[in-house]
This record gives sequence, structure tokens and C-alpha cells, in this order.
Amino acid sequence: MKPEAEVKETLRAWIIKANGGKIKPEELLDDTPIIEERIITSLQIMDLILQLEKITGEPLDVEQLKPGVFKNIDTIYKNFCSENNRGGGEA
Amino acid sequence: MASITETAKKLCEISQKAYLNPYTYINWRDEMPKEQWFMTPELISIFGTSEYEALNESQRQILSFYEATNFFSLNIHGEKSLVEGIAHRLYSKELKEFAAYLHHFLDEENKHMIYFGGFCQRYAGKVYRNRKMEIPREYAKGEEDFLFFARIMIFEELVDVYNIRMSTDEKLEPIARQINLVHHLEEARHLVFGRLIVEHLFEKYSPGWSAQVLQNCKSYLSNYIVSTWKEYYNPDVYADAGIADPYDMVEKAWNCESARKHRAKVSSKVVEFLKERKMIDEEPAL
Repeated sequence: MKPEAEVKETLRAWIIKANGGKIKPEELLDDTPIIEERIITSLQIMDLILQLEKITGEPLDVEQLKPGVFKNIDTIYKNFCSENNRGGGEA
Repeated sequence: MASITETAKKLCEISQKAYLNPYTYINWRDEMPKEQWFMTPELISIFGTSEYEALNESQRQILSFYEATNFFSLNIHGEKSLVEGIAHRLYSKELKEFAAYLHHFLDEENKHMIYFGGFCQRYAGKVYRNRKMEIPREYAKGEEDFLFFARIMIFEELVDVYNIRMSTDEKLEPIARQINLVHHLEEARHLVFGRLIVEHLFEKYSPGWSAQVLQNCKSYLSNYIVSTWKEYYNPDVYADAGIADPYDMVEKAWNCESARKHRAKVSSKVVEFLKERKMIDEEPAL
């Protein structure tokens, strides 16, 4: 797994692209609520899951996921990419 | 309202006459060699890419097996949420006069999953996993029902184009062809009902929605068409077919110009339906 800062930057870049560039990089903080503020839609979560599988090299089981895991960059990193807590079931 | 009620009654009569036993309709074979066509080549998700061109006939056929398994799997996932939603609305105040037809709807969708699941479990040993996820939110009055039936209609309209094409493709392995045929025959009735109920709910509720709710619905439906298509590009399929870098293949196949044209062509009928009725404003980003 890549270092935390690098993974978060990859996620930030993906979110900005998915948002169509309407949000500026400096506006997207690690704790910015991305679903609540409609920066990405629930329909784009499928794409985000593909990105996370690509980053982690592990398949994700959507049936085990709780909606809160996608709240912001911090929760995404914590639930899918940190060594202590992978798989997305903890939010 | 009279016309939709009358149509639902007629659809009930047809469904009763066309009633099928899903356990005897298909004569399942024990073994299924993968070196035959299971999906029409032009409908394979990576068709038109250099990676597809590099495959020999046998590799393309094996890929067609996994693509068909994915097509059947995404139908299972789509129909699972459909069955959940219809069961939840059965005998509801809004839809009680259509309850008789909704029973057929449920019955037929359950049968479709028996066919799709029968193929996937017997011959691939699995159903490909779902990656779609909906986040719960608040809805305006009638918005949730409208979006539910609009999602069903979009999903089924796209699938039906594939079903029609593959039900008449003589190259296809007979069971794969038969599943596409039976699905098309029953979905044709669901589509008639689907278009009417979507129009009915939109006409009834959208005048009471704020401009923001209406705009959100339009954007949602446009994006839903895109996300439905994304399920056709599954890295698990590419990995099973032995294609290198399956996640990169998803992006390449999605961005391939001929694939974009294919998606626009297959979607044109449902997009036109939605645009004509002002349910979407813009072309989906296909």
C-alpha cells in the first residue's frame, strides 16, 4: 500500500474529476462531506469502489458496506486503505 | 388513468395465458464448453478495442462466456432491487389498483432470476458481484416512486435491446439464446406498463415539486443511464478471461469511440422518451 498522503491525493484527484472540476482542490479537505455536499452522487460510488479496488488490490463486498464509509476522504482512507481497518464495514 | 388501468388488465390476461414453469422451460445441459459464442460479438464490452482485436476466435468466445455471465449477473442485481421495490409497494395506496399486475411483475422477475442464476451458478460457478450502492436520502412527495419506476424502465429498456439482438443470433449457444428470448418476451409487457406508470407518476407529482427537486430528478436520471452502462464494463470479467490489467481495460473500453457510439445508439429510444416528456434535459454523458 502506498503512503497515506499519496493515497489521499489519488482520491482527491478522482473526486475532483468525478465532480467535473466544479470544486477546486483547495476547497476539498480531508473532512469535506462529499456526498452530503453533492460533490459526488450516490450513482458515482460504483466508480469510486472500482478506484478503491484498484488502489488496494482487493475486491470490495458492497453488501457489507455502510453508507457512512464514503462520508469524506478521511473515512474512505480509514475504512478501505489503512492497514488496521480494511473492507469498509466500520464507519 | 383509465388507459393505464385498462392496459394493466390486458397485461394480466396475457401474463396468465403465457404463464411458464421456470423449472421445465429450459433443458439445462450438464457441461458447458466455453469455446462457443454466448454473447453477440458486437455486444461484448471491449469490442472495438485493440485488445479485442488481439484475441483469437477461441479467446473471444471464452470472453463471450464471461460477458454473458456478467450480463445475466447484472440482470439479477437489477431485478433483485426491482423485486424489493415492487414488493414494498404492493397494495400501497398509490398502486393498489395495479396490484394484480404487480403480482405478475414479481412472478416474472423472480423467474428471470431463476434463469439467469441457473446459468451463472451451473456454468460459471458464481454470480458476479454488484458494485452499485444507493445512499438513503429524503424525497419530495411522489419523487421516490417516480424515480423507482423510472430506474426500472431505463434498466429494462437497455437490457431489452441486448435481449432482442441475442434472441435471434443463430451463432449463440442455444441456452444463452433461449434465456435472452424468454426475458425479452416477458419484459415487453413490463416495458409497456413501465412507460405508462412513469408518465402517470411524473404528471401527477412533478407539478408540486420545487425547481430544485425537478432539476435533481433530471440530473439523477441522466446519471443513472450512465451508471447502468458502467456495469457492463466489469474488471472481474476481464480478469477471468485472462486480459491483462483488468481495471485499465475498463477505462480503455469505456473511452473507446465505437463503444461510446454503441451506448448512445442502444440508449437512444429511452433517452428520447425521457427528453420528450421533459424528464431529462440533457443527453447523458455516454
